[in-house]
Amino acid sequence: MNKTADICVIGGGISGVAIGYFLLKNGAKNVLLLERGHLAYGATGRCGAGIRQQWGTELNCVISKYSLDFFETAQDELQYNGDIEFHQTGYMLLISNERELEQMKKNVALQNSLGIDSQLLTCEDARQIVPILNTDNLLGTAFCQKDGHLNPFHMTQAFADAFKRLGGEIMTYTDVTGITAANGRVTGITTNKGFIAAETVVNAAVGWAQEIAGIAGLDLPLFSERHNIMVTEPVEPILGPMIMSFSLNLYCQQTPHGSFLMGRTDDAQPRDLRMTSYSGFPELIAQSVVNVMPALKNLRVLRQWAGLYNVSPDNAAIYSAASDPKGFYTAAGFSGHGFMTSPATGQSMAEMILGLPPTLPWQRMDVSRFDSGELLLEPSVV
Amino acid sequence: MYTYYIIKNSERGINLRIEAHPILDFKRGNPVSFTFDGVRVEACDNMTIAVALHAAGFKGISESMLKKRPRGLFCAIGNCSSCMMVVDGVPNVRTCLELCKDGMVVETQRGKGALI
Ligand SMILES: Cc1cc2nc3c(=O)[nH]c(=O)nc-3n(C[C@H](O)[C@H](O)[C@H](O)COP(=O)(O)OP(=O)(O)OC[C@H]3O[C@@H](n4cnc5c(N)ncnc54)[C@H](O)[C@@H]3O)c2cc1C
Repeated sequence: MNKTADICVIGGGISGVAIGYFLLKNGAKNVLLLERGHLAYGATGRCGAGIRQQWGTELNCVISKYSLDFFETAQDELQYNGDIEFHQTGYMLLISNERELEQMKKNVALQNSLGIDSQLLTCEDARQIVPILNTDNLLGTAFCQKDGHLNPFHMTQAFADAFKRLGGEIMTYTDVTGITAANGRVTGITTNKGFIAAETVVNAAVGWAQEIAGIAGLDLPLFSERHNIMVTEPVEPILGPMIMSFSLNLYCQQTPHGSFLMGRTDDAQPRDLRMTSYSGFPELIAQSVVNVMPALKNLRVLRQWAGLYNVSPDNAAIYSAASDPKGFYTAAGFSGHGFMTSPATGQSMAEMILGLPPTLPWQRMDVSRFDSGELLLEPSVV
Repeated sequence: MYTYYIIKNSERGINLRIEAHPILDFKRGNPVSFTFDGVRVEACDNMTIAVALHAAGFKGISESMLKKRPRGLFCAIGNCSSCMMVVDGVPNVRTCLELCKDGMVVETQRGKGALI
């Protein structure tokens, strides 16, 4: 098989399909998307599905608000046949010490100034929204009703269907093995199914972005770390918002199906692209979550899984165009929140590639920030 | 379209119990009785609830989540969720593992069960 495309996108996760869709929406033609496994095989199909605007830097607030506004109308804009299951049941960020309280006050003020309708709640008000919340050791919570969760599989499929409707082509089970370049310009990619000639290649392989950048001769300051999730049996709806705590290191939501999905960060996890489950995880996460919501203690565990956080030095995404070879673009380093910002990723990468004026300040997200020192340090991540 | 057979609980009546077996010796325990959706069921305390109901001819003991079709005893080893019922007010009890106790109140579960 030999093929030609104007633009080749590598990776069929949420970033890849969003970039593909926004490229076509902004006027690109002949876009081909390649995925080594099935769509959403990577972090996308393994993520916590949380969508929030409650961030601690202006840039993250702006791109997450832009993305949330998109998700609100995505069902119609993408004309999706299924239900993307965007449930705006809120995000509740727990505050358990003075330092966290100070940070949340700053965050809420910043968010409000950018049009994000977040607020600080007393423990009592928080229990009105989440009756099963144990507030004994809390000083209060931050809350934003417009945040919530979204089905990663449906959202990926919705972008993919719209991409195909606009003329895009998707090849699954197609493994990119090499990038060819001549005179400092990308000329194509080699895959297990043959060569594809393309002058523009977008690396959206994210967890595996260093590998892809590596074969193009680039070194990106990223690492991929295993993160685990555990899920319980379903029960009737009782928890509306996503519960998250930075200091207690946990997040937990009840899915539309009724199961509770929960995760945490663990610095001792491997950074070697392993996605096998970690046997010590269920006990750790159950303890953390039951402390916060004791009513969950009798729920039975169904299963656990793991995926990759692709982490950058300042916990913010990298949207970059390589200077050598020209025509090689990367979107990566989402540091655990690339699902909720995927519309911003799609639109920004499309503008960068097609030479359009920026809707969002994506120039600041170039990889050169690690040399210039203009970091985007985000204080509010799990 | 597909066809499936429903044995209505009202049509029960055949006793499925094997009373004596050439090589197995049944240790059924002491007689107890409990109620299933208000109907009195005779059993023994060494039997699981699901087995006692099955033997008494109750085939539909739960319902499917979306289409509300009847479900009966299926895996009988606590894996499949087909026999989950409300026992003494607690939902999602795997009745294929739970032994019968005198006076217990067993009910068909509607929906996924409330946490509290
Ligand atoms: C446990 C966990 C919880 C998370 N929770 C959240 C959350 O609540 N909210 C949120 O916004 N984000 C969350 N994230 C982060 C989010 O999942 C990711 O940032 C996002 O899904 C990244 O999507 P992607 O398309 O960029 O990458 P991926 O989904 O990883 O897609 C990359 C794709 O590239 C493919 N690929 C790799 N190499 C090749 C190759 N050589 N050739 C062809 N294809 C290739 C892979 O198969 C993969 O499908 C979480 C992540 C994890 C692991």
